Amino acid sequence: MSTLTRPPRIGRPTPLVDGVEKVTGRAKYTADLPAPGALVGRILRSPVPHGILRRIDTTAAERLPGVVAVVTGADCAVPFGVLPIARNEYPLARDKVRYRGEPVAAVAAVDEETAAQALALIAVEIEPLPAYFESAKARAPGATLLHENKPGNVEREVHNEFGDVAAGLAAADLVRKRKFTFAEVNHAHLELNATLAEYDPERGWLTLHSTTQVPYYVHLTVAQCLGMDTACVRVVKPFLGGGFGARTEALGFEIIAALLARKAGGTVRLQLSREETFLTHRGRPQADITLEIGMTRDGRITACAAECTQRGGAYAGYGIITILYAGALLHGLYHLPTVKYDGWRVYTNLPPCGAMRGHGTVDMRAAFEALLDEMATELGLDPFAVRRANLLTAPTTTLMGQKVMSYGLGDCLDRVETASGWRERRDRMPPGRGLGLACSHFVSGTSTPKHWTGEPHAVLNLKLDFDGGITILTGASDIGQGSSTIVTQVVGEVLGCDWSRLRVVSTDSALTPKDNGSYSSRVTFMVGNAAIQAAESLKAILVAAAARRLEARPEEIECLGESFRVAHSQDLGLSFSDVVKEALIDTGTITVKGTFTCPKEYQGDKAIRGSAIGASMGFSYAAQVVECSVDPVTARVTVHKVWVAADVGRALNPLAVEGQIHGAVWMGMGQALSEETRWDEGRGLATNLVDYRVPTMAESPDIEVHIVESLDPNGPFGAKEASEGPLAGCIGALMNAVHHAAGVRAHAVPLTPERVADLIEAKERTAS
Amino acid sequence: MTTLMPPFRLHRPASLAEAMATLSSTPGGRPLAGGTDLLVNLRRGMGAPPALVDLTSINGLDRIDVGADGLVLGATVDLARLGDDPRVRAGWPALAQAAAAVAGPTHREAATLGGNLCQDTRCVFVNQSEWWRAANSYCLKVRGDTCHVVKKSERCYAVYAGDVAPALLVLGASVETAGRDGTRRLPLADLFREEGRTHLALEPGEVVTAIRVPPPDGASTGYRKVRVRDSIDFPLAGIAMSLRRSGDGLASLRVALTGIASASVLVPDLDTMLGRPWAEIAGPLAEAVRKACNAVKTTVATPKYRRRVSAAAAVALGAELWAGQEESAA
Amino acid sequence: MMLAPQDEDQGGAAPRAKAILMITLNGRARQDLVDETMLLVDYLREVCGLTGTKQGCDGGECGACTVLVDDRPRLACSTLAHQVAGRRVETIEGLARNGRMSRLQQAFHEKLGAQCGFCTPGMIMAAEALLRRNPDPTPERIRAALSGNLCRCTGYVKIVESVRAAAGPAVEAEAAR
Repeated sequence: MSTLTRPPRIGRPTPLVDGVEKVTGRAKYTADLPAPGALVGRILRSPVPHGILRRIDTTAAERLPGVVAVVTGADCAVPFGVLPIARNEYPLARDKVRYRGEPVAAVAAVDEETAAQALALIAVEIEPLPAYFESAKARAPGATLLHENKPGNVEREVHNEFGDVAAGLAAADLVRKRKFTFAEVNHAHLELNATLAEYDPERGWLTLHSTTQVPYYVHLTVAQCLGMDTACVRVVKPFLGGGFGARTEALGFEIIAALLARKAGGTVRLQLSREETFLTHRGRPQADITLEIGMTRDGRITACAAECTQRGGAYAGYGIITILYAGALLHGLYHLPTVKYDGWRVYTNLPPCGAMRGHGTVDMRAAFEALLDEMATELGLDPFAVRRANLLTAPTTTLMGQKVMSYGLGDCLDRVETASGWRERRDRMPPGRGLGLACSHFVSGTSTPKHWTGEPHAVLNLKLDFDGGITILTGASDIGQGSSTIVTQVVGEVLGCDWSRLRVVSTDSALTPKDNGSYSSRVTFMVGNAAIQAAESLKAILVAAAARRLEARPEEIECLGESFRVAHSQDLGLSFSDVVKEALIDTGTITVKGTFTCPKEYQGDKAIRGSAIGASMGFSYAAQVVECSVDPVTARVTVHKVWVAADVGRALNPLAVEGQIHGAVWMGMGQALSEETRWDEGRGLATNLVDYRVPTMAESPDIEVHIVESLDPNGPFGAKEASEGPLAGCIGALMNAVHHAAGVRAHAVPLTPERVADLIEAKERTAS
Repeated sequence: MTTLMPPFRLHRPASLAEAMATLSSTPGGRPLAGGTDLLVNLRRGMGAPPALVDLTSINGLDRIDVGADGLVLGATVDLARLGDDPRVRAGWPALAQAAAAVAGPTHREAATLGGNLCQDTRCVFVNQSEWWRAANSYCLKVRGDTCHVVKKSERCYAVYAGDVAPALLVLGASVETAGRDGTRRLPLADLFREEGRTHLALEPGEVVTAIRVPPPDGASTGYRKVRVRDSIDFPLAGIAMSLRRSGDGLASLRVALTGIASASVLVPDLDTMLGRPWAEIAGPLAEAVRKACNAVKTTVATPKYRRRVSAAAAVALGAELWAGQEESAA
Repeated sequence: MMLAPQDEDQGGAAPRAKAILMITLNGRARQDLVDETMLLVDYLREVCGLTGTKQGCDGGECGACTVLVDDRPRLACSTLAHQVAGRRVETIEGLARNGRMSRLQQAFHEKLGAQCGFCTPGMIMAAEALLRRNPDPTPERIRAALSGNLCRCTGYVKIVESVRAAAGPAVEAEAAR
C-alpha cells in the first residue's frame, strides 16, 4: 500500500470542526441545555472558615411548598478526591467545615425564589475553631489540625537531592539565594460552573451533563459517592467554556446535583454564580519559594537548591501532585548537575487549590528565570548567553529520570533574539522601558494515570457504515483547545478521505470510549497517537477490500485521495464508496479501535520517589522576550509586545497552536500583572471579575508567535504539547523586563502598581 | 435559570411629571436609568425597593445643548454619547475624558450622566453577595451596625467611585433636580456629602434632571484616571483639574478627586498658589491632594497607594495642563 | 402597561407583576407576558430560548451577554427586559442570513477568534456594533471598543485579527446597500 500526494490534513491552519456552532450561538453549553420543568438547585455555604458542625435542621425548608429535596452531609458519607490516596472532601460538609463557602446543604425547588427561601430556612449551628489563612500560621506549633491525620497541617512534604548540591555551590563563582512569593490565582474560565442532573427512579439511572474536563473522573466519583453501579451513570460533557485545569477533578457541585436529582427523583439544574465558581476554586496556590543557584563565571549552573511552600487550602485535591511538580520540573529545561528540592503542601482554611495551566511548575519556573537574570546581570553576561550555556542535548535523561527526546530550546532562543531585536535594541531603550527574557517547558501528558487500571492511556474508535461516513468516537474533552479538530485532522491525514466524511462524537460515556480527560496536555500526544493507530487499522481494512475487488495484493494498492487502484495500472480504480461497499460485505458496520500506552521507560525511575510526576514522553519548550514600560506616575506596568518561540514538536494545526500559545503567554501575563485572589479572614474579596483583574483587550499586547518544530520521535507526526509550556516564561520575562525598565527586582507577584510603586520608592530611598 | 431580583414594580413614565408623581406616591421607589449600577447592586441583594421608575423612557431628558450659557445636559444623556460629542470634547475636555473613562465601552452605552453622578458608594464589605454580607454580620451601610473598615466608626466610609463628578466639579457645574417640593438648582458640590450611606443630598423621591456647565473660561481642563486595567475598572483614584495661567504665574486652579473618599471632593486651599510659577506649585499641590484624600481600606488597593498616586497624578496632570496653556497662548 | 400582580401563589415564590413586552427580536416582532423584574438576559434565554447570549458573571463584569439594542451594544445582564420595549434587539442568533454566517462570524471561525466559544457571542455582537458605526476600525480602535468583553482563551490577538478581517471596504459596501 502506498499513498500518493493529496491535500495534507496536518500542518495546515485548520478552523475548529465545531467552530461554526460557537460563532453562531448554536453551541449548547451546560446551562443552555433545554430541560423543561427542571428543578432549581441551590447550595447553602458555610459562613465560617473553620468549625465543628453541631447541627443542621432542614425541617422548615423541607416543609416549604415548592421544595422537592434537601440534602446535607448526612446524604453522602463517601469522601471524594481526585487522588485515590488523598480523598478527604465531602460534597456536603460532615462533622466539620474547613473553609468559608464550603457547601453544607443544598435544595432542589420549583424555582429560584423558593430555593432561596428554603436556604434561609435551614438552621446551621457551627462551633468555630481557630482558622489559618497563611501557610506559616497553619504550620505553627499548636495550631489546630484541619485534618486529624495530618500533623502540622502539612499534607505532603517532599525532599530530594540529586548529586551533591553543597559541592556544586562550592564550585560556583557566584551563588545567590532569593525569596519569592507568588499570589494565588484562579482560572476564571468564562463559563460558570453548572451541572444538569437527571435521575430516572424507574430504572435507577443517572445522567449528568456537566462543566468538566474529566467526564471519566466525574463518572467514577459520582458513582462512588452515590453508591451507584457505574453502569447506571452516564456522563456527558457538552460544549465547555474553558477549563485551564479548574475542571480536571470531579467537583463538589457535580456530586451535589446528582444527590439532589436522586432525592428529588427528577431533573435538577444547578448553576453556580461567579462568586460560587470562585469559591469552588482549585486554582494555583499561593507559593513561598526560596531559591539558591550556583553559577560559574561563564554562566554555567553548578547547583540549584529550591524550597517551596504551597498554601493548599482546605482539602487535598491535586495537592500532592502540585507540590511534586514544583520540584520535578526544575529538571528538563536546562542542564542542572545538582538539584535539591524541599516542598511542603499545607492545609489552610481557604477554598482548595488544584491544577492550573502549567500545573505546579509555573511559580518555581518564574522564580528560577528571575534569579538567572539577576545573576547574569551581576556577572555581566547577556541573558541569552546564560541560557545557552546550560542547554541540554537530546536525547538525554534528567537526574530525575525524565527522558528528553526532542529539544528545540536553542532554536527558540535564536528566534526570539532576532525577532525582538534584542541585540540592537536592548541597550538603547528609552527610560522606563525594558526587555526581558525567560524560558519555560512542560510535559506532553503525564505518563502515569492517576487511577491505575492497566488500560491503555488513550483509546479512540472509528465507525464506518453503509453511508460512507466515518464517525470518530473519542472521549477526549474538547474544552476549547481544539482536540476534536486535532483527532479529525489526524484521522483525515491517515485515511486521505474527504473532510466531509469525518464527524466527531465526543465525551458521552454511553457512546465514546473512556478517556482520562483534558489535563497535563496529554490529548494531542496520547489521543493523537491512538487516532493514528485507529485510522491505520481502518485504512488497512479498506485497502484489503480494494485489493479483493481489484484482485491484487494489498501492498499493490495505491490510494490517491479517495480513489484506490493497483499501482501503475491504467484502470480508473475504485471510488471510496465502492471500497466501503466491498469492505462491508459479510461484516456490516465496521468499528476499529486505536490505543496508545506510554512505554514503561517513560514512566519515571522506580528508584526515585515521586519521579512518576513530571515524567512524560515529550517536553515542549518555549523562550520569550517581553517588552514593557513602567509608568513614572502610577508605577503601572504595561506590556507592549511579546515575542515567543515555542518548540511544539510539530504543529498539527498551526492556527490552533498559535491560539494556544497566545492564550498561555497572556494568562501568564495576567498572573504577572494583576490577577490575585484575595481572602480576608477567609472572605473572598475578589470573587468577581471586577476585583479579580483578568486583563482586558485594552491593555493586552500583541503576541508574536514563532513555531519551532523539533519533530518528537514519539509524538503523533512528531507533535508535542503547545498550550502550557509558554505560560511560566511570560512571568519570568516580565519580572526581568521590569528590572530592565525601572531598575527594581520584584520578588512578589503580581506586579501591581502598588507593589511596583513600593519597590521604586524603596530604591529611591536607598539612592538618596 | 432566572436571576433572582427583588419583587419591585417597574414604571416607565413618558414624562417627568409622571415620573415624579410615581416616585412621590411610592415611598422607597428608586429612579432607574442605565441600570449598570443599580441593577447590579439589586442582583446582589443590596436593597429591595418596592418600585423602580425608569427615567430613560422620558423623551427629552437626554439632550445635549450648547449655548452662550454653556452646556446643558439632560440626566439621561448616555456616557458614550457624552464622551464622543465633539462640542463637549472641544469645550470641556475634562468632562469628555471622564465620561470616556467610565467602566467599559458597553457600560457607557447604557450608563447615564445622572446615574453616574448618583451612583452608590462602594466597599469591599458591601459589594458582595447577600450570603457574604450575612456571613460577615452586615455593616453600617447594609443592615448592620458596625463598620468593618474603620472599627467603632459611627460613619460609613464606602467610597464614591464616579468618574464624571470630579470633572464637573472643576468645571463649576450645577445640578437641577425635581422632587416633591418642585425643582431646585444647586452647585454640584452641594449634591455630595462625605458619608458612605448618605453621600447624596437628595430628598426621598428627588431626582437629578439636568446638569449645567458654565462656558469655557480659558482654563485647560483634564481628567486622569488611575486604574489597573484600561477598561471596566473603577478608579483607584481619579483627578480632575482646571488650570489657567497668566504668563508664568498661576491664574486659577481647581482640583477635584474621586475614588478616595465617600464623595467626590474639591481640593481646598489652593488659592495660596495663585500667581506662582509651576515649579513652586507642584510640591504644595501634591501635599494638598494628599491631604484631601480620605482613603481607607474600602478597596483591594491600599489606601497608601491611592493617596500617593492621587498626588503624583495631580502633579503630572497639572504639568501637562500648564504646558498646554503655554502652547495655546502661543 | 402593567397587569395586576397574580393572586394565586404557586410554590413558595412571591407573585410578581407581569406586563406585555413588545419588541423586534432578530427582525421579528414578538410579544410576551414578562415579569417586570426580569433581566433582558433571562428573557432572551428563558422566554425566547435564545441561549447564544451568555452569562459569565454576577452582573456587569464580563461582557458575555452583549446584545444589540437599536444597533448599539448593551449588557443584557444589567438591563431589564421591559427597558427595551419597542426597540430592535439583536442577538448572535440573528446575524446569520439563510443559515450562512455573517462576514464577522466567518472571520471569527476562520481566524480562530473563538476557542472555547463562551465569550464569542458577546464579543461578536460588540464587534458588530463597532463595525456598523465604523466599518474600518484600526486595531487600536477595536481593542478599545471590545475592552469590556473578557476572553480567557485567546489573549485577544486572534479576536482583533478576526474583526480586522471582517472590516474594510467590503463591509462598507455591505453597509451602503
